[in-house]
Amino acid sequence: MIFKQFLEKTVPLLSWVCAMVLLAAIATVLGFLFLRGWQSLNLQLLFGTTPVLDAILFKRRVFDGLFPAMVGTFSLVCLAVCWAIPVGIAAGIYLAEYARGKSRKMFNLIFDVQAGLPSIVVGLFGFLITIFLNRQLSNQIYPCLLISSFALAFLVLPYIIRATQASLEDQPESLRMTALALGASRMQNIIRVLLPQSLPGITSGVILATGRCAEDTAVIMLTGAVATAGVPRSLLSSFEALPFYIYYISSQYADQEELATGYGAAIILFFICLMLFSLAFVIKKRVNFSVQYRVH
Amino acid sequence: MTETTKIKTRNLSFSYNGNAILKNSSMDFQTNRITAITGPSGSGKSTFLKILNRLWETTPNCTMLGKVEIKFADRFHDIYRPQYPVTRLRRQVGMVFQAPNPLPMSIYKNVAFPLELAGRNDKETTRVLVEDSLKVVGLWREVQDRLNTSAFELSGGQQQRLCIARAMVLQPEVLLLDEPTSSLDHKAGEAIERLLLKLKKQCTILVVSHYLDQVQRIADAVVEVREGKLVTYELSRN
Repeated sequence: MIFKQFLEKTVPLLSWVCAMVLLAAIATVLGFLFLRGWQSLNLQLLFGTTPVLDAILFKRRVFDGLFPAMVGTFSLVCLAVCWAIPVGIAAGIYLAEYARGKSRKMFNLIFDVQAGLPSIVVGLFGFLITIFLNRQLSNQIYPCLLISSFALAFLVLPYIIRATQASLEDQPESLRMTALALGASRMQNIIRVLLPQSLPGITSGVILATGRCAEDTAVIMLTGAVATAGVPRSLLSSFEALPFYIYYISSQYADQEELATGYGAAIILFFICLMLFSLAFVIKKRVNFSVQYRVH
Repeated sequence: MTETTKIKTRNLSFSYNGNAILKNSSMDFQTNRITAITGPSGSGKSTFLKILNRLWETTPNCTMLGKVEIKFADRFHDIYRPQYPVTRLRRQVGMVFQAPNPLPMSIYKNVAFPLELAGRNDKETTRVLVEDSLKVVGLWREVQDRLNTSAFELSGGQQQRLCIARAMVLQPEVLLLDEPTSSLDHKAGEAIERLLLKLKKQCTILVVSHYLDQVQRIADAVVEVREGKLVTYELSRN
């Protein structure tokens, strides 16, 4: 009895302490990053000696700033997520609503294995594909933005698949029955009722995938990212990327000033992620509102 | 079978996970009447309603044998014939569940939703039908100024009437109600009963009910699900 009372009081306290420790860890990481990097955050870090307007309008190339890496990272993340979202959601719908028996077990296993693949293996696979395409299709094909984005999409696909599947399976039976009883077809039920209700869960998966795309270095190192490529001119160009820059600087910096630019790049990467997360939330809210409340 | 028969079930058997729920049951249900379906818990009352709109088909491990025919446009249709579209059937046979289940949408969208599903996209017609439907269930005056607000902001009784309005917007010929007042307070329950008595002029109603006094008040006929059989039950009104 006393032990039970002790547990009743201790478990919530322990949970609270764990949550606080987690918050403190996040605050420490961010604090450390900002303390080390804020001094290097200036226009010169982004654009070097190139005039800002010329750089933004792509009139002149930026040689000694992070602007090309920012553009590269942004393009890479957007492209990878664009490939991964439709495929991931479709696969999630299939697993939650259609797959039964053996095929369901088989696909679950495949996606579990895919989720556990080390990113360097995915990068190597992307690199081999590039070599194959270079030899078989065209010798103009080299590691580039397109191949990097495909490889990253492959890497993050399980996040979106699992998020979609779990959100759909979590929908209550009463909600599933409602539209069907009103004459909805199975597809109408999924598209008009179940998917909009699953959006918060799917958005979490997309955010997780976005974060993973933005931070991954191993995949892009082998499939298209280089130290000095400038702003990517096409999908078949190599590109610069912030995580690659951070990795490069942290392992090969010459002095403290150069290291500080690495911290600055990390802060910029953090803000790019924040911007993409916000975009995901805005889209979720807009879609939800339009599906549920817009009248006439 | 009489000329006013609306629904015929013949040799109906139903099992779930190998357990027989209904055994070789046959029964006729009359047009524009309220038939109460009674019986002990777990006897298969709700399952019987789901057989009439084929909603049981979404549940795995169920088996059904026998025939169900419903008269639409003066002709009996075997609703389990492969050519008979299930979506069309469910538009002709509306269903209201035990607990109010408005969709997470505005009040207006909830009622307009079945019309959208049926591909009736004319905005003006939709507006008129939604208004008519809300008036039929006596909800229009209560919600006309807040059609854009979430349906969850309504009280339990209002939500249930909204669900009936939503089921009625397609003007179904049969309305199935699975214990529609069991989650409501006495006053809200009475409002639903009055509504059902009004609606029977428009459609044939089958209502599952546990309450004998309610059955006495609203039902024209009673069918009891007893040990897997459908049995007609004499209604003695004082």
